[in-house]
Amino acid sequence: MTAASAPLIRARASRDDLIMRAGLALFALFLLVVVALPLWALLSKSFQDHNGNFVGLANYLRYVETPALFQSFWNSLFVAIVVTAIVVPLAFIYAYALTRSCMRFKAVFQGLALIPILAPSLLPAISLIYLFGNQGLLKGWLFGQPVYGATGIITAQVFYCFPHALMILVTALSMADQRLYESADALGASRLRKFLTVTLPGAKYGLISTSFVIFTLVITDFGIAKVVGGRFNVLATDIYKQVIGQQNFEMGAVVGVVLLVPALLSFAVDRIVARRQVAQLSARAVPFEPKPRQSRDLALTLFCAAIGLAILGVFAVSVWASFITFWPYNLTLTLKNYAFGNFDPLGWGVYWNSLKMAAASAILGTIAVFLGAYLVEKSKGFHVGRNFVHLLAMIPLAVPGLVLGLSYIFFFNMKGNPLGFLYGTMAILVVNTVAHFYTVSHLTAVTALKQLDAEFEAVSASLKVPVWRTFFRVTVPICLPAILDVAIYFFVNAMTTVSAVIFLYSSETKLASLAIVNMDESGFTAGAAGMATVIVVTSAAVKLAQLGLSRLLSRTQAWRKR
Amino acid sequence: MDVTGASPYLSIRRLTKRFGSFTALDDVSLDVFAREFVVFLGPSGCGKTTLLRAIAGLDIQTSGTIHQGGRDVSALPPAERDFGIVFQSYALFPNLTVFDNVGYGLVSRGQPRSQIQARVAELLALVGLPDSGAKYPSQLSGGQQQRVALARALAISPGLLLLDEPLSALDARVRTHLRQELKELQRKLGITTIMVTHDQEEALTLADRIVVMNHGVIDQVGTPTEVYRQPASPFVADFVGTMNFLQASVAEHGVVAIGGRQFWVESLNGMKPGTAATVCIRPEDVKTRNVEPGSENALEVEVKALEFLGSFARARLAPADGGDPEIVADFSINLLRDLKVEPGLKLPVALPPDRLRAFPKA
Ligand SMILES: Nc1ncnc2c1ncn2[C@@H]1O[C@H](COP(=O)(O)OP(=O)(O)OP(=O)(O)O)[C@@H](O)[C@H]1O
Ligand SMILES: [Mg+2]
Repeated sequence: MTAASAPLIRARASRDDLIMRAGLALFALFLLVVVALPLWALLSKSFQDHNGNFVGLANYLRYVETPALFQSFWNSLFVAIVVTAIVVPLAFIYAYALTRSCMRFKAVFQGLALIPILAPSLLPAISLIYLFGNQGLLKGWLFGQPVYGATGIITAQVFYCFPHALMILVTALSMADQRLYESADALGASRLRKFLTVTLPGAKYGLISTSFVIFTLVITDFGIAKVVGGRFNVLATDIYKQVIGQQNFEMGAVVGVVLLVPALLSFAVDRIVARRQVAQLSARAVPFEPKPRQSRDLALTLFCAAIGLAILGVFAVSVWASFITFWPYNLTLTLKNYAFGNFDPLGWGVYWNSLKMAAASAILGTIAVFLGAYLVEKSKGFHVGRNFVHLLAMIPLAVPGLVLGLSYIFFFNMKGNPLGFLYGTMAILVVNTVAHFYTVSHLTAVTALKQLDAEFEAVSASLKVPVWRTFFRVTVPICLPAILDVAIYFFVNAMTTVSAVIFLYSSETKLASLAIVNMDESGFTAGAAGMATVIVVTSAAVKLAQLGLSRLLSRTQAWRKR
Repeated sequence: MDVTGASPYLSIRRLTKRFGSFTALDDVSLDVFAREFVVFLGPSGCGKTTLLRAIAGLDIQTSGTIHQGGRDVSALPPAERDFGIVFQSYALFPNLTVFDNVGYGLVSRGQPRSQIQARVAELLALVGLPDSGAKYPSQLSGGQQQRVALARALAISPGLLLLDEPLSALDARVRTHLRQELKELQRKLGITTIMVTHDQEEALTLADRIVVMNHGVIDQVGTPTEVYRQPASPFVADFVGTMNFLQASVAEHGVVAIGGRQFWVESLNGMKPGTAATVCIRPEDVKTRNVEPGSENALEVEVKALEFLGSFARARLAPADGGDPEIVADFSINLLRDLKVEPGLKLPVALPPDRLRAFPKA
């Protein structure tokens, strides 16, 4: 060791570094404004009285002491647990069939199961009403019990949640190591033993994660409870009633905070699980190849066919009903339910609003997400800034739409907020939608960027090429499929979302998905079914266009060929 | 290469790099002269890449200075330094043609299109890929991709070429071939080059000077012959080439005792009698032909095992009367035939004093 130490060196930032740091700072500001500050506004509102004075926990005490309100807490919990208990095993078997069997028509079954994602959550609920409601075709099946209430909510939720559970479980089950099964075979393990000692432990984290995701989805979903909840109150409908019905914003804020708890909990668990999951599959693992076994494959095919047909059936009911003259008495076909002008002052205008909003969210959201992810992933140094932005980008996943929407009311109506002019405009719907669906998009973009060679930026710097040039010339073209994914994700969600925007629309900016809620409320169920059908068709068309486009990309861009 | 008198092109002084509490480079100093081909050699994790990235400004050192061409570049970002770099992954832009990859650094300099075209064509010819301009990287073999990466790095005529394990992703045949090409190209262009590798053969064949690194410090800097013939430490001796390590103690001036036998050693590096030492000799330095029994450092041995390695055979030898030292020695195929060497044969060998190197026992 030498006595005197050499001079410490502080790296000088290049122009590129400065640009990227400024970008990160801007992004932090953006995410603060669209996510963090509104949540803060909600939180502080829950501790205030009507006049904005701080009242400590008074609102919370009143919440717990009002039986009608607190009862919905238990109702929500009950519904969420039952739905989770039903959906997770069903989705597990379905996912098992898709990944671990030699069942035929896997693509068809996978497609069938994903249909509900294309529709607002309201759609299965509307179908239930057509089947089992007061004028339901199969009303008799319920032995005189009303479908409105817990039964209806649970049934509709099962359909709505199924694809979400399936997607996570398919991912979990496709990460299997053939070698584990071969060693189990070598040890002479029975099928049941292999399932219990290899398959289940391997999917453990996926199962935990799915359970929490489904639990949260159910607790925070608004549309289904609104349509078939009847007098069975849940947290999500309570917020709506407190805020829209009674203008009791403080109590709405309290319920919002209560709703945030399970979501945050599930988010935390999911993060922990995700971290554990990484280490599970070593780089040397051999991908699992299922072997045909007739009895199993046949049983699984029957199971998947039953579920797939049920899903298809439920969706078909709404579509069919939307063309029916007078359910269930006059079943001749008609287009009159699509004359939306009869049910809503804006008529087809709500659909154009939705298209505009979805397109704007897709374009602006994708630009924001990709730029943000690039800055987080590729800027040098400035770890504090990068981690901060990444953290902010993760928050929306833990915030239910209703809570975010409510937060926006508080934040954008705050006295002196220079952004107050956005309230009631299309712009706030776009900003809210981008914020609401930010996290998944951000993670998609980050994953795509991580797959790029980490040295592209270093090479560019050595060649004295500015970073933005490499961004447009190399990064964006390579990531085009992921960018397309993000855009479509934003578009479809913007078309179907209800929960956040229901607090934020004005009479001119009403969206198609919100018109469904209104029409259903006013008893125009057929119109609601028609609008839901229009949304499903639009989402499906966009999805198909994406498929075609990515095919085109891989065919016309020679370098994508291997 | 004569480097005396000239002032260094690249001068690294007291460089230290810490990652948290871990010290990846510890007070490293090094001079690199213009037109020189220097190779950083060392085992995985010894800090070669860290040093290279500090020189490039990609991961700036914690302390210490770097001067390049008389300019203090210690704290400068990569874009303000003068170097071209080839990474182990090549980092070719997959969506650009070979032509666009090579011309990537030229386009943003505002040169006219025709000039760029001429320069790229020249570079592609230089690396032996004159007709591949329109292809995409994925349509090239690994060796071809490596050359494109090299052409891209050379396009802006940098003062310094940095190569991080540029050949390690290739199979052995291609690697040997490209090694020669790389050396010729470097000579022809006269570009100062630093290459990182953990392959000693690559270092020995390519380098004007080798920098042997271990645990974040430089163990030795020298020509390939120096590093091979006069390793500065047992680590260098072990890492470069094959070496016999014999446990010894210093008996008297110029003499060590190994397993009760006395051997003359040319240099003891100032070790005093009684100190424990490690004495090294390379298998090919063990004298096996024309050894008179009883002559200097001679030893009667028995062949214990024999391993054919193509043009020569490596034998494990033990003293004929038992005891230490056991030695590994090389026999040419010729000698093998002449002496009818096979396990069990007894013969005299010698350990030439000028080939024995003694180090204090670690
Ligand atoms: N970003 C980093 N953070 C923490 N430690 C690091 C980082 N980069 C390198 N190191 C550590 O510094 C040491 C030297 O790393 P370096 O990459 O220079 O090794 P190397 O000699 O190039 O080895 P290899 O032959 O494996 O490439 C290693 O122990 C490595 O784990
Ligand atoms: Mg390295």
